[in-house]
Amino acid sequence: MTSLKQTQALFMDYILSDKESDAAQGDKFSAFSSIITAKSEEDGKTRLGIYASAYRLRLIETIETDHEILGIYLGDELFDKMAQAYINAHPSSFRSLRHFCDALPQFLSDDSFFSQYPILSHIAAFERRLLNAFDAEEQPRASFTELEQLAPEHWPESQFRFHSSVQIFQCQSNAVESWQALKNAQTPPQPDYSIASAWLLWRGEERLTEFISLTEYQLVLLEGFIKGNTLAQQCELMLNYFDEEQAPVKILQAIRAWFEMGIIRAIA
Amino acid sequence: MTETALTQDFLGFGLGLRTNHFDHVLTNRPDIDWFEVLSENYMVAGGKPRYYLEAIAEQYPIVMHGVSMSIGSTDPLDMEYLTALKKLANDVQPQWISDHICWTSIHGVNSHDLLPLPYTEETIKHVAERVVQVQDFLGRRILLENVSSYLSYQDSTMDEWTFLNAVAEQADCLILLDINNIYVSARNHNFDPVTYLNKIDPKRVQQFHLAGHSDYGDYVVDTHDHDVPNSVWELYRIALERFGAVSTMIERDGNIPEFPALEQELQIARDIADKTLPELASQLASLNRQAQKQSSKTGVF
Repeated sequence: MTSLKQTQALFMDYILSDKESDAAQGDKFSAFSSIITAKSEEDGKTRLGIYASAYRLRLIETIETDHEILGIYLGDELFDKMAQAYINAHPSSFRSLRHFCDALPQFLSDDSFFSQYPILSHIAAFERRLLNAFDAEEQPRASFTELEQLAPEHWPESQFRFHSSVQIFQCQSNAVESWQALKNAQTPPQPDYSIASAWLLWRGEERLTEFISLTEYQLVLLEGFIKGNTLAQQCELMLNYFDEEQAPVKILQAIRAWFEMGIIRAIA
Repeated sequence: MTETALTQDFLGFGLGLRTNHFDHVLTNRPDIDWFEVLSENYMVAGGKPRYYLEAIAEQYPIVMHGVSMSIGSTDPLDMEYLTALKKLANDVQPQWISDHICWTSIHGVNSHDLLPLPYTEETIKHVAERVVQVQDFLGRRILLENVSSYLSYQDSTMDEWTFLNAVAEQADCLILLDINNIYVSARNHNFDPVTYLNKIDPKRVQQFHLAGHSDYGDYVVDTHDHDVPNSVWELYRIALERFGAVSTMIERDGNIPEFPALEQELQIARDIADKTLPELASQLASLNRQAQKQSSKTGVF
């Protein structure tokens, strides 16, 4: 009699094996099929095959759903090559399929074939950020009036706490522009790795995921506030970009916009 | 419910809550008695799914149905999962919590499938002990659902219904009887689905699932992407005769139609139940009165 533990190990070994790339797949099939009931070898193959196919199909569907635009960018053939390779390299250790593709950007940047096209990893990473913004915790949002009502002497030491959906995405390519083109059913531009771009993603009050590009100073400003810098520290930092008159104006403009976008949850 | 009854009162006829119906449900407040939600889909910090769940839970009874408890696995119970499940239950206050009598993961790898167990004394003991631990942790009885299966093990020493009854009895848990799964497995393993129904202990059956499947002739696959077929409706009628008024819902996970089409399908279940159980009409009337009272209290109308 096979123990329950052995039975489950044989079953999982078989499900995970890929008939295209796993030389031991035949042995795994034989080992597992020897403990099931089947009318014939063909019957056994069909019964086991239902589980093996379902496993792969479910994961492929997850990649398609979570990375719809990456899929379009790749086309059917390359998407399938990527999906099969990723499934083989990363059996799911998650209870929810929501996280199955968490390692996809890294996989694309490490894989010997796909790493030749760094934009793929960038598009995948951008899509992960969109998902993170989508289901981040809901939190209250502060208004600009709260800052206005703060006594002027408290302004310099003020810090901001950001909504949990706020994500910053940076890449050295036009990945987001390509993503946008495909989303609008347009032909994406040729990959351009001369561009360093930064994006702010968040989920708005209407529960829609939004994103905007960030200039260099906006990125530095946002990252500084997220790190916990005070308004006074940020003013000093902005002197690297603007003169003494302009710096506070630019900061105030940015902060007002952030309040309007709903990305600040509290003033500390 | 009498004092000795294990199961909860009849909740009526429900549907699985799916993301593409969120807005329809909130806007139109359809005449559905309750919704079943997939627990794992809402184990997130926030965002749209939680927003809609909380809004819909204010208006409808909710039942939580999971797919990742992996109660039959030989891996240790996933306490992180159970903690998240308990937290969700605290937030949502479901009528009950269910999962499947199967295993989904081993050695930390998740198949994301409901894999069958060998029906042996060893498995009964193993599963029942784990169900007891889960119920102690959650502080409530859970329901276990029979799964569709495509293979059976040489080591199995009993029928599926004997196994299911034994686990439910030893663990003192309840049963979610999936009528479609009984049909699918009966076809795949060549047993009589009516015998299955007749052998299940009625006092532990708290919920029915109905769904469609894909019929490939030699095999039937539980795909949840078709309407409930006549073969399953007929089995449902027989189940009602045996078990009486049991809370019933339709699962649809693929090729999901517009909400009104599912309402029409649910009406078929109501009609079959009305015809099969004439006394059900009075139970439903009482259920409606309770619902109206509850609604007036919460100011929904």
